[in-house]
Amino acid sequence: MGKTQIEATQPTTTQSSNFKTGAQAVMQSLVEQGVSTIFGYPGGAIMPTYDALFDYRDQLKHILVRHEQGAGHAAQGYARMLNKAGVCLVTSGPGATNLITPIADAMLDSTPLVCIVGQVKANLLGTDAFQECDVIGMSMPITKWNYQIVDPNEIPEIIAKAFYIAETGRPGPVLIEITRSAQAEMMSIPFKYQKCESIISYKPRLEPKEEHVEAAAKLINGAKRPYILAGHGVLISQAENELKEFVEKTGIPVATTLLGMSAMDADHPLFVGWPGMHGNYGANVLTNSCDVLIAIGMRFDDRITGDLSTYAKQAKVVHIEVDPSEIDKNVKADAPVVGDAKAALKALLPLVKKADHTEWRAEFKKYDDEEYEKITKKDLYHEGNQIKMGEAVALLSDKTKGEAVVVTDVGQHQMITNRYYRFKKHNSIVTSGGAGTMGFALPASFGAKVAVPEREVIAVIGDGGFQMTLQELGTIAQSGLPVKIIILNNNFLGMVRQWQSMFFDNRYSFVELQNPDFITIAKGFGIEGHTVSDRNNLGESLDTLLNSKKPYLLEIICEKEENVFPMVPAGACVTKVMLE
Amino acid sequence: MLTTYTISVFTTNTIGLLNRITIIFTRRRLNIECLTVSETERKGVSRFTIVIRNENREIVEKLVRQIRKITDVLAVFGYLDDEIVFNEIALFKIATPLGSPALDVKTINLDWNAKVVHWGLDYVVVEKNGSEEEINEFYAYLKQWEILEYIKSGRVAVGKTEKGLVEYLPEGNWEIV
Repeated sequence: MGKTQIEATQPTTTQSSNFKTGAQAVMQSLVEQGVSTIFGYPGGAIMPTYDALFDYRDQLKHILVRHEQGAGHAAQGYARMLNKAGVCLVTSGPGATNLITPIADAMLDSTPLVCIVGQVKANLLGTDAFQECDVIGMSMPITKWNYQIVDPNEIPEIIAKAFYIAETGRPGPVLIEITRSAQAEMMSIPFKYQKCESIISYKPRLEPKEEHVEAAAKLINGAKRPYILAGHGVLISQAENELKEFVEKTGIPVATTLLGMSAMDADHPLFVGWPGMHGNYGANVLTNSCDVLIAIGMRFDDRITGDLSTYAKQAKVVHIEVDPSEIDKNVKADAPVVGDAKAALKALLPLVKKADHTEWRAEFKKYDDEEYEKITKKDLYHEGNQIKMGEAVALLSDKTKGEAVVVTDVGQHQMITNRYYRFKKHNSIVTSGGAGTMGFALPASFGAKVAVPEREVIAVIGDGGFQMTLQELGTIAQSGLPVKIIILNNNFLGMVRQWQSMFFDNRYSFVELQNPDFITIAKGFGIEGHTVSDRNNLGESLDTLLNSKKPYLLEIICEKEENVFPMVPAGACVTKVMLE
Repeated sequence: MLTTYTISVFTTNTIGLLNRITIIFTRRRLNIECLTVSETERKGVSRFTIVIRNENREIVEKLVRQIRKITDVLAVFGYLDDEIVFNEIALFKIATPLGSPALDVKTINLDWNAKVVHWGLDYVVVEKNGSEEEINEFYAYLKQWEILEYIKSGRVAVGKTEKGLVEYLPEGNWEIV
């Protein structure tokens, strides 16, 4: 960011020397931690580190984004795919403040990030120096841990600690701020990197307590109408197989949360969809009919529970969660199990009885049928040439056999994507759930593609959100990675328009967009693309997108004023599902 | 009914931790009545004593869990008043110019269990230890003189169990200061 003063070259040592500058120590630490990729953007206060990076460019792949927010979201996409920390490297002041949104997003969605940010020289701290900002203060409420380094000797230990904290327990973002002086100075002790394995004040409990598991098993075994809500924790702990084994043994229907999508095969007979504001009819309504509600790695977000005073009051609640502060936070747990989802499911499996629950499962079917008649059918099979978002996603799902990594932005298209993409492969959704960050998808899809280049990665984005981070088309083009981008364009900030239509008397207050020619923009960045507006050409267009060996942008012109249903209005009881 | 809760937080001695703890209160619009930070008898371990009043025990329990979640926090306890021994300290600077009514030092010492800790030219400083209530009562008594300044510390408290600090802390080599 901005200009920097030219200074005399720092004394450099060779990489092999045990005495390193702070900047070299940062690089060597990242290498020894096993980091291969950094998303970053240089600037004044981080320049010594970028200078050291030049010598490490063969060992550390640095990806130059176009805006620090892009670095953050790309690192999130990367982290979500690999279940390890995404690394960002940015400068002080505005470089760091531009990272604030992704950090907050990562905090809410339990995504491990290690953000290394520059800071002015130690002697300038607190003087309102050029590009000085209190980033430690600003990031405190939205990081799992943060730390300011002024002494280069601390660098290896702090970086090791940062990765340990970011990746273990309930993952989250960590920020390390390093003064320019600490980057430039020589360490006075020989460099030594040791991965962190424990911290006295931080002991995440992974293995659940035996008595908690037994109490949970007892409730589950006694249940006549048990119901599972599986969340992001299942993906994070890679417990998908354990979950499958568990539900197949117990015959319990399972819904996955927005972030837990793809934890279950969408075509599994026990999969009943997703709960929440735009979730499935039965998955919402039957929350208030089950007798035991088993929450696994989820946090009862208000978008899921609606009105807490009427939420699952009839049910005994088993809550499996790695973060103890989530227990009893929103919904009281009768049988709390603090621990990692995988470990808890493994422990529970031998204790639960085989069951079938045929009648109970049939109740979901009844609601499904009604939802299909009232919503799905209209979304997928309709008259006219205009394209509905639902059919576009459903067709995408068919054409990719449900095996792509789908990255969504925030809004109507996000809900529609989760509704109509039939996930067949684990860990295949990347979306901004807790924070609801528009502009998330484009950089996050790029980060995901960097992490899993062998998988098809498709970003589904609205026309509003796309314009928040579209500069990252430049990053994608420069990398050449074939990220597939779909804009579902309805010329509106669709979700806000829907609310204005439903709850604000049709008063459309600043939601209509005059959009640019997205294809021309893409081409300006060197990315091919085309627009489709006739539903007869939709299949062919998707084929072009999917067959491209390069990044590709498909703009789908959708019906302008389509509303997303089902919908549980904010704060309403989960049984008050609107179907139209 | 408003209940007083004393929250004892044991932490590693880290810069910025006070901020990390207090923003948890701010975000939930909880008012801190008083706050005391001090070192403990164990090297590198700090102790925060935070007093809040709230009608809802659940809110306090959630607050305690959120504080526990902070990476540098070693242990947290929420106490009711009958579970702890606690005290505060107050200093009163009282004007004693020529012609003012004489200070009744004997009553202050014996009846109020307070003492004069500094004799100035035209004033004295009186120190009183006790509960907030006792200090308030003493304040009312002192009002017959002109009170130039009054200051009261936050609460300090120890739990009424036989356990020592080390037993609350995660297993480790906690060197005594």
